[in-house]
Amino acid sequence: MKFYKPTSIPDLFRISEEIEGKKYFLAGGTDINVQIKNGIIKDEPVIFINHLNELKGIKESEDIILIGTLTTYKEIIESDLLRKVLPFFQNSLKSFASPILQTMATIGGNIANGSPTADVTPLLLVLDAKLKLFSKSRIREVKLSEFFTGYKEFILKANEIIGAILIPKNAETGFDTFFEKVGSRKSLTIAKLEIAGLKRLKNNKIEEIKIAAGALNEYPRRLHKLEEFLTGKDIDRIDFSQVEEILNREITPISDLRSDKEYRLQVSFNLIQSFILN
Amino acid sequence: MKINFTINGNHICLDIDPMRRLIDVIRNDLGFTGTKEGCGEGECGACTILLDGKPVTSCILNVIHADGKEILTAEGIAQKPIGKLLIDCFDETNAVQCGFCFPGFLVVSYYYLISDGEPSLKKIKSALSGNICRCTGYKKIFESVMLACERKPRMNTNEHE
Repeated sequence: MKFYKPTSIPDLFRISEEIEGKKYFLAGGTDINVQIKNGIIKDEPVIFINHLNELKGIKESEDIILIGTLTTYKEIIESDLLRKVLPFFQNSLKSFASPILQTMATIGGNIANGSPTADVTPLLLVLDAKLKLFSKSRIREVKLSEFFTGYKEFILKANEIIGAILIPKNAETGFDTFFEKVGSRKSLTIAKLEIAGLKRLKNNKIEEIKIAAGALNEYPRRLHKLEEFLTGKDIDRIDFSQVEEILNREITPISDLRSDKEYRLQVSFNLIQSFILN
Repeated sequence: MKINFTINGNHICLDIDPMRRLIDVIRNDLGFTGTKEGCGEGECGACTILLDGKPVTSCILNVIHADGKEILTAEGIAQKPIGKLLIDCFDETNAVQCGFCFPGFLVVSYYYLISDGEPSLKKIKSALSGNICRCTGYKKIFESVMLACERKPRMNTNEHE
């Protein structure tokens, strides 16, 4: 296994462009080392990036919170800035993995690993997060909702990395918030399913609603059809059989070792119903 | 590649494959076999060490992650006053059964005592939620950490480190 340790971000892209074919960027190590153990990663070159301080930390500008790709979950959970500006986002991540893994795992690594069950992605989706993608000669911003294209597939080009996560500062302001991770135990659990939601009511009517589902499709996504159906509805006059029908068309859960399809469909509906009514 | 770190107070310089698992280097190359391998995937907490003062599972770290840093294993913690206090409390409450998970619990309990230390069952449970005991002796483990939290204020404060 060839190993590289760049001295800076420009050096990182210089090294990366010299390596043809598949390569891995090693940050916290919590996913890559499990994949090495299980033989999924064999001999591919590894570029270590965890020491690049320019990619760490949480900053604010006038209307955006920027989270560097190598920021750990512990740093996010303990951030005074996030406690003030995005408390729902911060509180929801306390159930992430375990306190030990929170110290090691990075937010960018979690997204780039691409797991359909990544805890952070449904939350970022309802917060309308964007990703800042870095490559040698340019930086581009993409909506997180347009980042994924399939199971562990996304629009990252060769020699491009997730540099930072951008969240509007007012993303939670004025919304009722909802996040449920359903797992077999509280800590150290991979989600059977996850629902994140934001809603704003006016005169008992849904003025705006955002719902995202994790572990229910090949990648976490917003439920746009359901959102459209619910917008403008009086919450006392919602036909929940229609909600269930739309939901069942918008999510495609599978049966696997953690749960089965029927359970996932039923519990997703129950959670969305309780989110809308409470 | 040359990697430098401190382990339990000893400075180490190794010429080594930087992708070697940190747990293998700690156990096999350096002989600190108190660090145990359970699941090998970061989920059971048996291999927990302190890296620059924070608990991490050494089975899913590479030795490069320790470069320039300070490692404290269960052996190092056992020499510290708070480590000794914890071991006494685990002993008194008979919290250790087969003992395999114990080094990991010791490391994380030590971190809890020096970073917070409030005798709150809720907080202790949450702090220890990344460690699994397959003898399922959690109740006594929580009791022993609680006991250590209660006794700690009576220690001379400069003995803590």
